[in-house]
Amino acid sequence: MAELQGLGAELSEAERAGVEIVAVSPDTNERSQKLAEGLRLGYRFVADRDLAVARRYGLVHPRGGPNGEDVPRPATIVLDRNGVVRWFSVSTNFQVRPDPGDVLRAIRGLS
Amino acid sequence: MTSGWLALLSVVVAVSAPVAYALLLRVPLVRNHPEGYVVAFAVAVGLAALAVARARTRRWPAWSALALTGLLLIGGAWFNFVGARVPTTPIALRVGERAPDFTLTDGTGRSVSLADYRGQKPVVLVFYRGYW
Repeated sequence: MAELQGLGAELSEAERAGVEIVAVSPDTNERSQKLAEGLRLGYRFVADRDLAVARRYGLVHPRGGPNGEDVPRPATIVLDRNGVVRWFSVSTNFQVRPDPGDVLRAIRGLS
Repeated sequence: MTSGWLALLSVVVAVSAPVAYALLLRVPLVRNHPEGYVVAFAVAVGLAALAVARARTRRWPAWSALALTGLLLIGGAWFNFVGARVPTTPIALRVGERAPDFTLTDGTGRSVSLADYRGQKPVVLVFYRGYW
């Protein structure tokens, strides 16, 4: 979850208050809750158990999981206060995540 | 450098590269350049080959190092360039367009809807593969 930690660490307190970070994964809520408590970053972790949302966004990596199951493509999407997409990044290699600096610039460029 | 020391150095380079990568996952510069450990494996193979070339009497350390680092190079290159590739699928997102709405529940049982934030605050959506 390095990408989650990186982003949370670089946002100032005021910025944290002004933006909602919603982390979407197929994990169960129990598992995400543990992760959320461990990270203490105040993200909203939501469970997309059947990947319905990932599918709607076109973010499914078919049979990409360790047991051949479908998993989401790692992606970070910045929406302005009207829900309009202002910036997004989708990994082409699952080891790679967007640079937190790029995400920060996108967030700071919203106002 | 003697063949034995070269073989040892080769193994140390090959083993420490993925360990360093795993330890430094939080550093974006390291995390986002996984090809770095593949390059380190290639350097290790080069050192092992040099060890084999310089081996006079005891040849097994050099050959063992070459076999180990060769396997790591093949495995590492496959993982990074093939295994970890995410196929590009059509993405239903356009900059300047509204993101598709959704409602999901969070760990406390509350439902979270994208529409709830409309007119309230910006949202960063992070899709991740799950915590294994």
